[in-house]
Amino acid sequence: MDKKLLDILVCPVSKAPVEWNKETNELICRTSGLAYPIRDDIPVMLETEARTLTTDERLEK
Amino acid sequence: MTDQKDSQDKTHFGFEQVKVDEKQDKVADVFHSVASKYDIMNDLMSGGVHRIWKRLTIEQSGVRRGHKVLDIAGGTGDLTMRFSRLVGAEGQVVLADINDSMLKVGRDRLMDRGITGNVEFVQANAEALPFPDNTFDCITIAFGLRNVTFKEKALASMARVLKPGGKVMVLEFSKTNNPLLTKAYDLYSFSLLPKIGKLIAGDEESYRYLAESIRMHPDQETLKGMMEEAGLSQCKYQNMTGGIVALHTGIKP
Repeated sequence: MDKKLLDILVCPVSKAPVEWNKETNELICRTSGLAYPIRDDIPVMLETEARTLTTDERLEK
Repeated sequence: MTDQKDSQDKTHFGFEQVKVDEKQDKVADVFHSVASKYDIMNDLMSGGVHRIWKRLTIEQSGVRRGHKVLDIAGGTGDLTMRFSRLVGAEGQVVLADINDSMLKVGRDRLMDRGITGNVEFVQANAEALPFPDNTFDCITIAFGLRNVTFKEKALASMARVLKPGGKVMVLEFSKTNNPLLTKAYDLYSFSLLPKIGKLIAGDEESYRYLAESIRMHPDQETLKGMMEEAGLSQCKYQNMTGGIVALHTGIKP
């Protein structure tokens, strides 16, 4: 994940910064509880394509 | 503008009335279908004039070295390519499009031309941009706003992520101002254009949608009003090719 891009990406729903989850290759927003996929190296920042985080995932770290 | 809800939960898809939540998918189908032939079709349909419209947009952008630029509905990267050269290594251009087929064609095309390093690609909806407030010096949306379901939301979202003093530029088909030109243009759009689409891209319907969606798009004054409504100032427009296309600009106060 490109750092220069990550620096200016926020969750389109909460507008909070997202963090990159290396294992799942997703961009995570704990505020909205959504995980955005990265497909073919392109972040898919669409609410309709996002996965809802499980409670465990939300509380992690 | 009646962009939001014409009656109940309907909006327009070309001349057709569709449910609000269907428009996005229907537009997506159009662009998945035309992505690979998009560039050659633009040249054919406009006789190459779209290059002049885009060049004028770049010239008036005021973009220079070190700037951050967002190219919404950037598609196959025509504007991004030019911005990438202007902003240099210390600048950044983000090409955003809601359609992954268009993004991939754009990325391949830019890579083929050796344009890398200061360009990023993001799949995003113009109505809910995934960037912090006050991020970009310039935001462009060229031939894209027409296809957005909620245009007011998109303009507000652009104003939010624009830096104070930054510029929004909307390049879009508009209303012709000469009756004779309008007649010729209508004849061309509704008779010849879908045929060219069928012949080259094997898709008559998508190009019929193109012609219809142009007629449904708000005219110059209406769009200017919508930009002011979104909180932009110094909003103005410039007609090109007799108003077939207009370039609207606005500044974030």
